[in-house]
Amino acid sequence: MSEEWRLLQTGYAKAFTNMAVDKAILVSHSKGLVPPTVRFYGWVPPAISIGYFQSLVEEVDLEACQRYGVDCVRRITGGGAVFHDKELTYSIVIAESHPSIPKNILQSYGRICGAVMKGLEQLGINSEYAPINDIVTNGRKISGNAQTRKHQTVLQHGTVLMDVDVDTMFSLLKVPNEKIKDKLIADVKQRVTSIHHCLGKHIRFTQVADAMKRGFEEEFQIHLVEGGLTIEEQTFAEQFEKETFLTEKWNRKR
Amino acid sequence: MQSHSVYKVPQGKLLKINLEYDETTHRILHIRITGDFFAYPEEAMEHLEEQLKDTPLDRKELLLQISSLISQYHIEFIGLNAEALTQGILMCVL
Repeated sequence: MSEEWRLLQTGYAKAFTNMAVDKAILVSHSKGLVPPTVRFYGWVPPAISIGYFQSLVEEVDLEACQRYGVDCVRRITGGGAVFHDKELTYSIVIAESHPSIPKNILQSYGRICGAVMKGLEQLGINSEYAPINDIVTNGRKISGNAQTRKHQTVLQHGTVLMDVDVDTMFSLLKVPNEKIKDKLIADVKQRVTSIHHCLGKHIRFTQVADAMKRGFEEEFQIHLVEGGLTIEEQTFAEQFEKETFLTEKWNRKR
Repeated sequence: MQSHSVYKVPQGKLLKINLEYDETTHRILHIRITGDFFAYPEEAMEHLEEQLKDTPLDRKELLLQISSLISQYHIEFIGLNAEALTQGILMCVL
């Protein structure tokens, strides 16, 4: 009989809540309170998340974000700035010591990305892992991923692009050189794709979630059982949201 | 003296350095390391920045100090390394 992990479908939420929930699951799992967990979620309103080491003011046009009603949050994971709009975001929380998780960080990215790739395959999209942290199809990025390890626990979260709006993304992010902005936008349009673009039709969030569920089950040879956040996790999440992710101190720390 | 550099690490990520240094002694007064790289544990970077204060802006000494801090704080970089960090810092003063 295959191992059972928990599946959380937390739907759409604000950026601050989303990041707080991922951290709450990480803390709960590290205390042995919950099983390995896979979570699917979306972002309302659309938001920009920046990597742990990025400078908020250097990466993001905060005035533009305010105009567009886009929230900004710093992640606990490294990596780059992401505009979260029409996408499914996944997270996985699992002990570093779990036999399915390679000790080597880069190899563990590859393993977890394998689940996303199998999910994409369910939708008829062939893709491959492009180290360090991307998944590409026909050479174009369809998923970006970021991992942290804390308290002997792995948290990896990542995007699966359902549709992409490069123009809006670039009106929200700062570019190092305004003179080459048009070229940069054209380049990124060539380098990024989405499920919509690949299949030529819109796929619903729930269909992507179903495909990803099967992808994780196949990759890790497990059974995902749908559940909810525990009371402790909800309490942690509320605390992290209020004390960290909503604060200027955290979001502007670099 | 304040300076800034942007360095694309070969086969790695984008590293940005904000550096304040003493022009007379050629030593670091304050450094902020940003970018889209990964470092484990993340919080160790703050110690590294703090401990780089007063380090001479000399390739050999910088590399030695950075390598020693990486080992002291058990930092694992992805998309960045000690050589690239040294290079990024030196680009602020070249």
